[in-house]
Amino acid sequence: MNKPVESIRILVVDDDNDILLLLDKWLKQEGFEVITVTSAEEALKKLMLARINLVISDLIMQGMSGMQLLAEIHRENPLLPVIMLSGQATIPDAVQATHLGSAAFLTKPAAREDLIGHIKRALRIGSYQTAKGQFGKNIIYKSKAMSELLELAKQVADSDITVFITGATGTGKEVIARAIHDASARSQKSFVAINCGAIPEQLLESELFGHEKGAFTGANTRHEGLFQAAHGGTLFLDEIGDMPLSLQVKLLRVLQDLQVRPVGSTKTYPVDVRIISATHRDLDAAVENGEFREDLFYRLKVVPLAMPNLTERREDIPLLAAHFLRRYAGRNEKPVKHFAPAAMEYLMTAPWPGNIRQLNNVLDLCSTLCKTDTIPLSLVQKAMQDQPGGIQSLKDAKHRFERNYLLGVLRMTSGHVANAARMAGRNRTEFYKLLNQHAIDPAEFRRVKADESEA
Amino acid sequence: MSDEKIVVKIDPDLETLIPGFLNNRNKDLATLRTALEEKNFPSLQSIGHSLKGVGGGYGFAGMSEIGAAIEKAAKGQALGELKDLIERYGKYLAAVEVVYE
Repeated sequence: MNKPVESIRILVVDDDNDILLLLDKWLKQEGFEVITVTSAEEALKKLMLARINLVISDLIMQGMSGMQLLAEIHRENPLLPVIMLSGQATIPDAVQATHLGSAAFLTKPAAREDLIGHIKRALRIGSYQTAKGQFGKNIIYKSKAMSELLELAKQVADSDITVFITGATGTGKEVIARAIHDASARSQKSFVAINCGAIPEQLLESELFGHEKGAFTGANTRHEGLFQAAHGGTLFLDEIGDMPLSLQVKLLRVLQDLQVRPVGSTKTYPVDVRIISATHRDLDAAVENGEFREDLFYRLKVVPLAMPNLTERREDIPLLAAHFLRRYAGRNEKPVKHFAPAAMEYLMTAPWPGNIRQLNNVLDLCSTLCKTDTIPLSLVQKAMQDQPGGIQSLKDAKHRFERNYLLGVLRMTSGHVANAARMAGRNRTEFYKLLNQHAIDPAEFRRVKADESEA
Repeated sequence: MSDEKIVVKIDPDLETLIPGFLNNRNKDLATLRTALEEKNFPSLQSIGHSLKGVGGGYGFAGMSEIGAAIEKAAKGQALGELKDLIERYGKYLAAVEVVYE
């Protein structure tokens, strides 16, 4: 008999009493506490009442199936390991179970050593614990907010469970996604990232699912989509909240069927991909407004991870600053610079709407412009003024440009709309429409001129 | 028919479970025969599936193999084959001799 494992309680669910007796015997011999039930419904009741560390469930049972039980369990507690055991496992079943977060999918008759090995791995007992320390080793932090986030990410990394990362622009969503991939069993396969908000709809469909030669104008060759490119690995769908509704339906179908059909193809291809998605948007609100499909949302949001803003982890700023300065020094082959105390104080208290990306840009600018070893406050202030709050969307950038352009021509013509419209190459009606869109009153410019004349 | 015994070596830790387990398998045999008479293929498939899963776990590999064959034949509604397999299962149960080691 093995050394007892203290107070680890396993719930076994199977409608075959002889299987329950057998597993009960095996698990107790390993020192586990065991609770057995003959249906998924009973299992859910037990889970409400007792502390359970791991569940082993049959796949096919009377009433609620093992797969439904798995989904229910992870809706309440996505970190509870569940091992699926089935007499007639098919590959789609196994893939679906792993997407829903099962720690293992075993076929009956399961060998005792195999089952015990999977249980210990899922519970991270013994040698399996050592790999945990390596998680996210390149992520710079000392804050509690990041520590808690990384602990959760570490726990889910080793399974295939679907992860949903929220956070403002520049908080490092892709860095966490990559850390999860690197710590998973898929680490030797591809990590493929795509920004769903940066690509037009038709191109995005083709990028994700692929297309056949001649599928549309310009499709001169066959193109393998990113789902297939990520087969066996991880697909990171960044800015998923910006995905058009029509594509959301297609993505949902792929996630349900685990098969992709390239644009213009009649054939489907099975895909085994772990999905990590991310957004800066409030998708709960987007679902309420009908801008994002609820069914897709819940399929993606199995384990939510919320990235803290840089202002919620200010204690990490000196560490991050030192890290970035070392990096630039190496790049420029120059000695490592440091910040004057007042400059560091300024960095520590700045608002950072663009988060780490903005910090990185500011430090890059400071490092490049500073001719001495110590970066002064004045340079940091100048760099901060030159930095917008992170990368704008093209739409926002265009809007901002258009507004500044209109203000510029109105200043040049002292609010004379006909002249300004002529300079802009628009007729007066169109020009007025643009001014209305930007809530610009040309009379303001005429008043300024009058004031200047009086002065 | 041969009266040769089929010796199955079982983990001594399972000794207390085996009599009940074999008793249940004999009940399965009776249910299989009834289901065959009634051409109740879902029931035949379900019992075959169960034998496949439970037999190997306890160490009765031959039982798992017959169970899998019953499940497959029931799926295809192959009556003749099912009759042979159930007969074979009956003989297996009668001939099995458990040795705990």
